Amino acid sequence: MNGWDLLGIVVKIGIVVGITQGAVAYLILVERKIAAWSQDRIGPNRAGPFGLLQPLADGAKMLLKEDVIPTYVTKPLYILAPIIAIIAAMIAFAVIPFGPVGNTGVRLGNGDIQFQIAPGVDIGIVYVFAVGSLGVYAVILAGWSSNNKYSFLGGLRSSAQLISYEVPLGMSILGMVLITGSLDLNAIINWQDRHFWGIVVQPFGFLLFLISAFAETNRLPFDLPESEQELVGGFHTEYSAMKFGMFFLGEYLHIITVSYLTVVLFLGGWDFPFVTDQSQTGWFWAMFKIAVMLAKVSGMIVFIMWIRWTLPRFRYDTLMDLAWKRLIPISIANLVVTATVCQFLFSYSRSN
Amino acid sequence: MNRDQWLATCVIFLGGLGTWLLLPHKHGKIKARLTQGCGAALSILALLLLSAFYTSPGPFLPNVFFWVFATSAVGSGILTITSRNPVYSALWFASVVLSTSGLFLLAGASFLAAGTIIVYAGAIIVTFLFVIMLAQSEGQALYDRMARAPGAATLSGFALLWAVFYALLMVRSPGGDFKPVVPRLTSASEFVKPTLPGNFKNSGPVLPGSGPAFVLASAIRPTALLADDRAPAPKKSVPHVAALGATLFTDHLIAVEVAGTLLFIALVGAISMATPRTPIRPVDREAISAGDPAQARALANMTN
Repeated sequence: MNGWDLLGIVVKIGIVVGITQGAVAYLILVERKIAAWSQDRIGPNRAGPFGLLQPLADGAKMLLKEDVIPTYVTKPLYILAPIIAIIAAMIAFAVIPFGPVGNTGVRLGNGDIQFQIAPGVDIGIVYVFAVGSLGVYAVILAGWSSNNKYSFLGGLRSSAQLISYEVPLGMSILGMVLITGSLDLNAIINWQDRHFWGIVVQPFGFLLFLISAFAETNRLPFDLPESEQELVGGFHTEYSAMKFGMFFLGEYLHIITVSYLTVVLFLGGWDFPFVTDQSQTGWFWAMFKIAVMLAKVSGMIVFIMWIRWTLPRFRYDTLMDLAWKRLIPISIANLVVTATVCQFLFSYSRSN
Repeated sequence: MNRDQWLATCVIFLGGLGTWLLLPHKHGKIKARLTQGCGAALSILALLLLSAFYTSPGPFLPNVFFWVFATSAVGSGILTITSRNPVYSALWFASVVLSTSGLFLLAGASFLAAGTIIVYAGAIIVTFLFVIMLAQSEGQALYDRMARAPGAATLSGFALLWAVFYALLMVRSPGGDFKPVVPRLTSASEFVKPTLPGNFKNSGPVLPGSGPAFVLASAIRPTALLADDRAPAPKKSVPHVAALGATLFTDHLIAVEVAGTLLFIALVGAISMATPRTPIRPVDREAISAGDPAQARALANMTN
């Protein structure tokens, strides 16, 4: 690896970090607008046309507010928690492809530009789960270090919930991995490009993944760690100013990651049926594929925000019931059926 | 034993002695300053002697990463056992796991690294934290300050460490080069080769030789051999997760199955222990003592 490759990677990291952080600011506006429409209100409309400058105002407010650290908190962990929240959500982007990877035909210097920070990681999806499983520390530590019973209850609920839902989340993608025969996210997209989208071959897997992903991102039907009616603000009750903002940032980054993963695993990635192909290279097709992928991801994000205003929150015992008594048995059955079908299909195709 | 092995023995002995002096008292009594000072001095001396094994660094960037991960793993390990607050202990343990995964990544075992993070940092330590936070110990109890069997623990720990050092130094030339191990193992594989299937993928019937060749063939499986420089390089297109799977489910199948069975039994056991028994309410107890045999039997069935 020479200096230019390193520089390229640094530039890519910069672009991805910049775009996602900027996107988060506008996602908050989108969330507020969707919330307003669901409740038959107008939503933020004062700052700029259609409230488009609202994110800037929000950001300035977050940065300029007084950052209160209560005297009774465990200070090192109290400060560490929001940092973990952001880092755990951010580093998953290292292996997520945001466009075509491989022979892209987009040349700059002596090699093709890969639209992924770390191309060719053959454990891609396992890596995403590994760093995703670290996000739970942010919530637990915030809850414990705040030295406040509401925060603490939020932290406890969250640790139990996240551990429980990691199991069906991991099992739901195994069907897709078996069918495509790879853990590499690009290989999974390429398979879907050549054959069918994941949602067609693994409808149950898609559903299980979606439900577990909602639980993992602490989104509304599963937002028990911060349920406002019972726990004030849950694990972030004691946080103010930018530290509170960092939890928010982490949550929205998580939503973007989950949307990208859903698109990559089940909605074909950059594949536009009957139009795109792996053999298409060059600037136009690269941009087209990135645009297709972005459109799908935006659709997923809007869907996630829409669900927030559609479903009421679970009770704690029903939440656990859903994970252990419903989702996990279904995902095991799904895995066994998929494995059986795969085995017969492969041995059939090999015997011919 | 050569010079290096004597040196390693010295390091282990001094380190063991220092650690034993540093460990808390058996009954939680306070140790003298002098004892602790001696222990610290001996441990530091052992660490300094360890630098005699320093080898010339490799390429710059991996080397930097190696030292960062290795130092943080060892440092966090020490903090894990010395932290007074169990929550901090658990967090330092998480840091140990993350650093170790970094070392795995440097060694090219990315699946192992990710798996370690998912299993240990993502699930087990979170469960630890969950329990520790529920327990919420206030203040320091006596049993938090005492070491259980410090002498035996130090002895067995450092004896194991010595065994590891001895094994490493057996295959390391005095210059710090680990190369000499390869010819020896490849010669063993040459010796075995006629009896081995060339490649486990297209394995035909295994033709057992006779005597030592057969024993070696059974002991050294093809995937357990070190990389042979003269052998054709493996195809680049095979991702290493697939290779790992192939290894696990061909050469180590029995071990995998045994481990799976053990885990399954543990799972069944945990569930059978955790299932709550039907509590006997005061009303039911009265019914039993009043001598209603049918209801008593029904209750006995329920509670068993």
